[in-house]
Amino acid sequence: MIRSELALRDGRIGVMDAGGWEMRVSSRWGLVVALALVAAACGGGQSEQTGSVGQPRRGGDLVIARVADSQSMDKTTVFDNESIWIFEQVFETLYTVRPDGQGVIPWLATSYDLSPDKLTYTFHLRQGVRFSTGQPMTSKDVKFSIDEARAAKQGWGYIDTAIKDVQAPDPTTVVIHTKFPWAPLLADLALFANGIVPSNYGGASKSEFYQHPVGTGPFKWDHWTKGQELKLVRNPNYWQAGKPYLNSVTWTVVGDDNTRILQLKGGQIQIDEFPPWSSVASLKSTPGVVMGLLPSTRTDYLVLNERLAPFKDVHVRRAISYALDREAMVRAVLFGNGKPANSFMPPQVPFYDSSSPGITHDPDQAKREMAQSSMPNGFSTTLMVGAGTVTENSLAQIIQQALKPLGITVTLQRVDPTTEFTNLQKFDYQMGFSYWTMDIADPDELVTFAVDPTSGSHSFFTDYANKDVIGWTHQAQRSFDVAQRRQLYNQIQAQAAKDAFLGFLYYSPYAYAYSSKVNGFHVTPMGNYHLEDVWLGG
Amino acid sequence: MSRFAFVRRRLLHLVPVVLGVTVLVFLMIHLVPGDPARTMLGVHATDQAVAVLHHQWGLDRPLPQQYLLFLGRLLRGNLGDSLFYRVPTAQLVAERMPATLWLLAFATVLATVISVPLATIAATRRNALRDHVIRAIPLVGLGMPPFWVGILLILALALTLRAFPVGGYGHGIGGHLRSMFLPGLTVAIGISPLLIRSLRASMLNVLESEYVTTARAKGLPAHRLLLRHVLHNAVIPAVTVLGINIGFLVGGTLVVENVFALPGIGNLMLTAIFNRDFPVVQGVTLVFGVLVVTVNLLTDVTYALLDPRVRFD
Repeated sequence: MIRSELALRDGRIGVMDAGGWEMRVSSRWGLVVALALVAAACGGGQSEQTGSVGQPRRGGDLVIARVADSQSMDKTTVFDNESIWIFEQVFETLYTVRPDGQGVIPWLATSYDLSPDKLTYTFHLRQGVRFSTGQPMTSKDVKFSIDEARAAKQGWGYIDTAIKDVQAPDPTTVVIHTKFPWAPLLADLALFANGIVPSNYGGASKSEFYQHPVGTGPFKWDHWTKGQELKLVRNPNYWQAGKPYLNSVTWTVVGDDNTRILQLKGGQIQIDEFPPWSSVASLKSTPGVVMGLLPSTRTDYLVLNERLAPFKDVHVRRAISYALDREAMVRAVLFGNGKPANSFMPPQVPFYDSSSPGITHDPDQAKREMAQSSMPNGFSTTLMVGAGTVTENSLAQIIQQALKPLGITVTLQRVDPTTEFTNLQKFDYQMGFSYWTMDIADPDELVTFAVDPTSGSHSFFTDYANKDVIGWTHQAQRSFDVAQRRQLYNQIQAQAAKDAFLGFLYYSPYAYAYSSKVNGFHVTPMGNYHLEDVWLGG
Repeated sequence: MSRFAFVRRRLLHLVPVVLGVTVLVFLMIHLVPGDPARTMLGVHATDQAVAVLHHQWGLDRPLPQQYLLFLGRLLRGNLGDSLFYRVPTAQLVAERMPATLWLLAFATVLATVISVPLATIAATRRNALRDHVIRAIPLVGLGMPPFWVGILLILALALTLRAFPVGGYGHGIGGHLRSMFLPGLTVAIGISPLLIRSLRASMLNVLESEYVTTARAKGLPAHRLLLRHVLHNAVIPAVTVLGINIGFLVGGTLVVENVFALPGIGNLMLTAIFNRDFPVVQGVTLVFGVLVVTVNLLTDVTYALLDPRVRFD
């Protein structure tokens, strides 16, 4: 919704499509584009945005209960969503993700110019933006913020590696030079780590600042009682007139799934973040509760350690992938609330190829692949499972049964989730589970992490390396031609499926159960939400 | 030995006990597999980022050196900074302690309120129907897992009757009192059967003793006899039971804290273990250790106050 209002007020809206080209459009076209964006946000099979019935009402306190607490508000080094989704209400970026996740739109910047050599971006900042302290936001703050994010070696610094330098020639202009032509730059700048904070933290030390952060976002810091609640209140200096509608938002920590549901039913909270899949059907029929299943970018995988003999063999990997009954997994684990994956890329990311054949369940083909492999009579292996994780335990049993006919005897190795993570990253496993959710509205980050072994995560800790695929990945990073990028990403998806470096399992939505009084709540496929659009009805 | 000398000596005992606990916990948490840096970084864990964090947290040093550093900080009253929250562990513990203490206190009071009258009724009518009922029904409570009892109480008293909030800690003293009733009751239901049985047994013993017979012969009214002579003496073993169970209680609050969404120290510990947040695990264990030892000490002192025959030595 907010996008249409912006378009009308600004008279023009810069929309970056999936390829990185900006379209500048007149106010009339701005309306058309904005309506299309809204339609995209509201449409789609599983998409549900709370119906904005009537006029937005000002006031009210929203309470969101989630399973775990935040860790820190330091946007440059924090990786957990429970922190990110909160500080995104405080810090804003130059560009932000579109509601449908298929690109970015201008936010604290209104537009940019790209030099013919594609190495210099000149951003024009939005006028009248102030921090919650009342201080105006200038290019100096933007330079400081992006430089801060770039410097975070143990954090999100890698996302800005293409940036050579950031300059602030005048208060409303920011110039970014890149080391080489870099198509995903706008998507990178829309990452929360590049959110804008006051220059020099407004005079505070870094650690002091992130204890009580200040930004230009719709809400400002109130308090955080760790393990209990984190509260933000309305920013009276917010640049979007009339917003936010809510007086405050409080995130509480309620570890027990049942308690969160009971609190929602009792009216103590308005939003239950991630109710268990087993409760989705009953929540759908609960009066006064809306069960939102919002398209996400979460993709779950079976990972195979290619440093070990059986999994080096592509026929073994393909045999395993053909043996996986993804429909059964969706039914058993997600209670039908998802769909089988055909690619390692999720449908909500630009350049996802819906026609990519992937590998589907075919037990006969699995046997044929196994017969062609170096281990035609099968072998014994282990599957690492997070102890106490219901989903993984169910999946593991399905996989164990599915691989039996191939002569593959799978022993379940149950370890606590932290050990599971560590073992996976140290290649101390044979088969295991992993998943990915997108951080930026461009496939580059995912593809680099997934298929480029020289990236930090060694191809999702499988060590998969296909020279062609790696080459195409690098080409796609530097191409500004949408058609060419699409072609390259299609090739990557097809070849990665052929190489069966992962067992692509399924795509699942974000599950949010909320009170029918909540209006305007939408979660983008990246998981971000804009709470300035949310209001509470009677 | 005077009472103060006894307390002082017991407080000194606290030092080796707590030190022993820290060594054990330090070794256990560091020797189990699992790396906090990799947990924090998730799929974004590049080797470089992991190394930077290890260095920042001092995890690249030898284990004995890490322990000595921890001990050195401890002597200066510093429990170190949480790796995940990036704030001092002492601050976290101080923030979380009140909820757990409230829970423990509330549970103890409720357990006493439930157990003393029931045990008295049961003991005064030995082998009558009400004695059997009082001995049998609480046993059901002992057999029910706390998370289940908690959910049942929420369903009945919070969701249906709306008499209490569905979990949470509340704000202000009034809010805490309302919020802590159901979790307190959940813990009390778990511990009351033990208290009722031990109190009933010791009351029966006392009731058969000669001084009670004498008091009865003197024509002492029944309520005075029960309160001044029987209960006063019978409560001593029950205090011991409660004291011994305090360790169990502290552990048991963890589940209850989770069900009722209480920001207690049990929850903090659980998260810290999962994340391998070493300073917090060590800090909380230290606090737990001190708490259990202190409560045991208080139990001994109370025991001595209740029973003049007990000597401090």
